[in-house]
Amino acid sequence: MLAQTTPVIVPDTDEDVDIDRPWQVVVWNDPVNTMSYVVYVFRKLFGYDEIKATDLMLQVHHEGRAIVSDGPREKAELDCYRLHSHGLWATIEQ
Amino acid sequence: MSRFKTVERGIRVELTPEERMFLGDVLPLLAGVGATGEDPAADRLNVPVYLDDPDANAEWWRFMGEDLQAGRNADRAVFEKVVSGHGNSVVSFDEGNALLRVLNEARLALGARLGIDVESDHDHLSEDSRQVMDYLGWIQEELTAELMRAL
Repeated sequence: MLAQTTPVIVPDTDEDVDIDRPWQVVVWNDPVNTMSYVVYVFRKLFGYDEIKATDLMLQVHHEGRAIVSDGPREKAELDCYRLHSHGLWATIEQ
Repeated sequence: MSRFKTVERGIRVELTPEERMFLGDVLPLLAGVGATGEDPAADRLNVPVYLDDPDANAEWWRFMGEDLQAGRNADRAVFEKVVSGHGNSVVSFDEGNALLRVLNEARLALGARLGIDVESDHDHLSEDSRQVMDYLGWIQEELTAELMRAL
């Protein structure tokens, strides 16, 4: 039986990594939003416990930003929408 | 005395007549956001989502912007009903969350117009402006604490 040869397609490595890399939702510090409100929003939207939500809020407060969720682009865009509806400044990056 | 208390069916809202009158100014404030040219309040409520990709940002706003505004309008309708005193003094938790979002939206809009860029800017506001921001912040904290208990 003759072995069938097939052309070898070499994927573009950089593009492959970009596709696999999750999208991240970043919340930025804001001088008006209160700490307790931000903790509440993180707990309500993402189901985080008080400790994790508080840690994220403090990271936003002290470092200026924190990654609060990640995943496929569609999920990141929806999470971003939910955060914006609560007045938090959220951005998406990969 | 707290203005919000969790009861069996939701949250009891107890505002004084003075507070209802004061909070009645919130909706005209929000309705005017972006109505006249450059408005830092509009910039704050419609911040970019993709910082380095204007096309992706425009697409996100094209798909999500209308829903976002529709949600804000629905929240404001709840706020109006409660603050005008025509609604039940006991609101559901969903309605409580709507009230909370409007209070936060109002503080964001006011804060942007007052030029609060860093937290210490609050200390340099005029007495009147500081009182407004402090009252809205206080009542928002009260409601946040009550809703937090329900999580």
